[in-house]
Amino acid sequence: MEQQDRIMDGDLQTLGLQSILKMLALSGKTGKLYVYSGPETLSVGLRKGQIVGLHEEGVPQPDLLAMLCLINRLDPARAEMIRELAQGDMQVTLAMLVERGWMTASEMQRRLEFAVTQCISHALRWVNGHFEFHRQLLPMDSKLRPLDIDSVLLEALRQADEWEEIAKEEVTHLTRTTVARWQPEVSKDVRSMGLNAESIEVLCLSNGELPLQAISLALMMPEARVAHIMTRLAELNLIEVVDTAFEDVLRQDLADRIVRSQNALARRKRGSSPVQYLHGLLIILADCINELLVHHGKHARIFRGRGHISSVEIMRYLARRFAPSLQPLSNQYPILETTNFSHGQLDCNDILTLDKVVKGQQLEEFYWEAVQGLHAFVHMLFAELLHDEVGSSSTGRQLTAAWRLFLFEFDQEVQQYQTYRAQRAARVARDRNATQPSPTGLAQNRTAVPQADGGSFWSSEKRRSI
Amino acid sequence: MVPTVLVVDDSPTVRKIIQMTLQREHIRVVTAGDGLSALTSVADETPALILLDIQLPRMDGYHICQIIRKNLQFRQIPIIMLSGKDGLFDKMRGKLSGSTEYLTKPFDSAELIQTVKKHLANWQERVPVQYENTRPRLRYRG
Repeated sequence: MEQQDRIMDGDLQTLGLQSILKMLALSGKTGKLYVYSGPETLSVGLRKGQIVGLHEEGVPQPDLLAMLCLINRLDPARAEMIRELAQGDMQVTLAMLVERGWMTASEMQRRLEFAVTQCISHALRWVNGHFEFHRQLLPMDSKLRPLDIDSVLLEALRQADEWEEIAKEEVTHLTRTTVARWQPEVSKDVRSMGLNAESIEVLCLSNGELPLQAISLALMMPEARVAHIMTRLAELNLIEVVDTAFEDVLRQDLADRIVRSQNALARRKRGSSPVQYLHGLLIILADCINELLVHHGKHARIFRGRGHISSVEIMRYLARRFAPSLQPLSNQYPILETTNFSHGQLDCNDILTLDKVVKGQQLEEFYWEAVQGLHAFVHMLFAELLHDEVGSSSTGRQLTAAWRLFLFEFDQEVQQYQTYRAQRAARVARDRNATQPSPTGLAQNRTAVPQADGGSFWSSEKRRSI
Repeated sequence: MVPTVLVVDDSPTVRKIIQMTLQREHIRVVTAGDGLSALTSVADETPALILLDIQLPRMDGYHICQIIRKNLQFRQIPIIMLSGKDGLFDKMRGKLSGSTEYLTKPFDSAELIQTVKKHLANWQERVPVQYENTRPRLRYRG
């Protein structure tokens, strides 16, 4: 921005945004108005006193295509096609939707006008700040039809008043950046709850990722109205407001625990025998389960907002919540019957010390059964705790992705053992056949199979160390 | 403009978690799973910082670190070694190969963020040496 282009500047306290815009409209100015308030910046493009463009600095453009899909206004395949071509530009997105006949030209105009009104309505509430007007040429490629400042101001002021009113009456504590998400335990049909179409649309868009402002833009519904509906949905326990600070702590804690488990997996000593190998995997699984239980004891939904919770209550809750899930697995993997919940942890000591009771092939079979059982349990445990703690949200999705990668690494280790088992079974079968005369008279090739003690299978190249 | 951090680790879990953690801090993250891809990423992305695991397929972290330090264009990039080895000898070896700092695994997110931010504090001031009409190259003579 050239200094000589700046023809007007001042404080918002001296001259409010409304007055500045009116003044620029009356004098038919062409250029760009920048309004700064705290971390927020708004730039309004004017041509001959009419609004031809608007941009909010630092505010990510909402994914309009995803939102239209969520409210069944657009087919996801079509959305994907447009997304690739438009590369996140909202004006281009709208233009392409019109071009392909998936949106009318008048709807595009209404959407663009609504976005301008929404931003100006927000900026009208800024009390402190600074403005600058720069005389400069503006690009002509805007899809926005020049807007009359008076009509934009009228609508923006009406919307700003609505916000003021609900804030004054303490109807809601929500702001335009509030993100809400569906409550995880809601399973009933919302259509039977007497919600109107507007409420159902807001509910559909409360997916834990979209801020209130974006929902307002997608539905072309004033922010205050969206806030009102969201408050009502929260009262009905259909949605909850996402506490980003709490989720940061939660995500960090769980990520650190996954890193610890991964590190234990990478660093564990690989024994020379399959029994030692399986024992190592069992230790990792048991530790991982207990890490997850400790995490859930700190972040479970049931304990939120209740201040200090006694450790006894946490232990009881964990046992009550997860012991029933272990029961069906015990039917499939009877070795799990030797585990039990004690002090909020899954006590696997009986399994880990089985070598004092049984030996050889039988011990290996028990360990293998325990690995499969605990693997199934940890899988279920993670899914259940994440669903309880963050439900359907971007945090949940990110953590699930990291967790799946950890399970993938773990499964690779398990596969090594499975390959060994398969080779051993093949060798046993061949040995059995070898005792009978071969009908084809061919000699059996035994060179590629592992030794009975498994020693040759666990070669040094296959071991990974840190 | 956001800084780019290159994360080099053979574990996809570690790569994902570091990516997740740093992206929350508005840091762009690119990842590599082995030594040679790491060198390619350094040349392509010119990262502001490298988080480098030691035990890697195809080429270990010490070797990568030495190659980067010998290259005029990339030698100023801070390299934080990530390793499960926390012995004095390993730390010394890391230092001798040219690492800026050494983080022991398992690290916690807060420690990682703090260390990364410390070394990114003046990343925009570190102007890399530019060669006209040449694509930056890292040569590996292994």
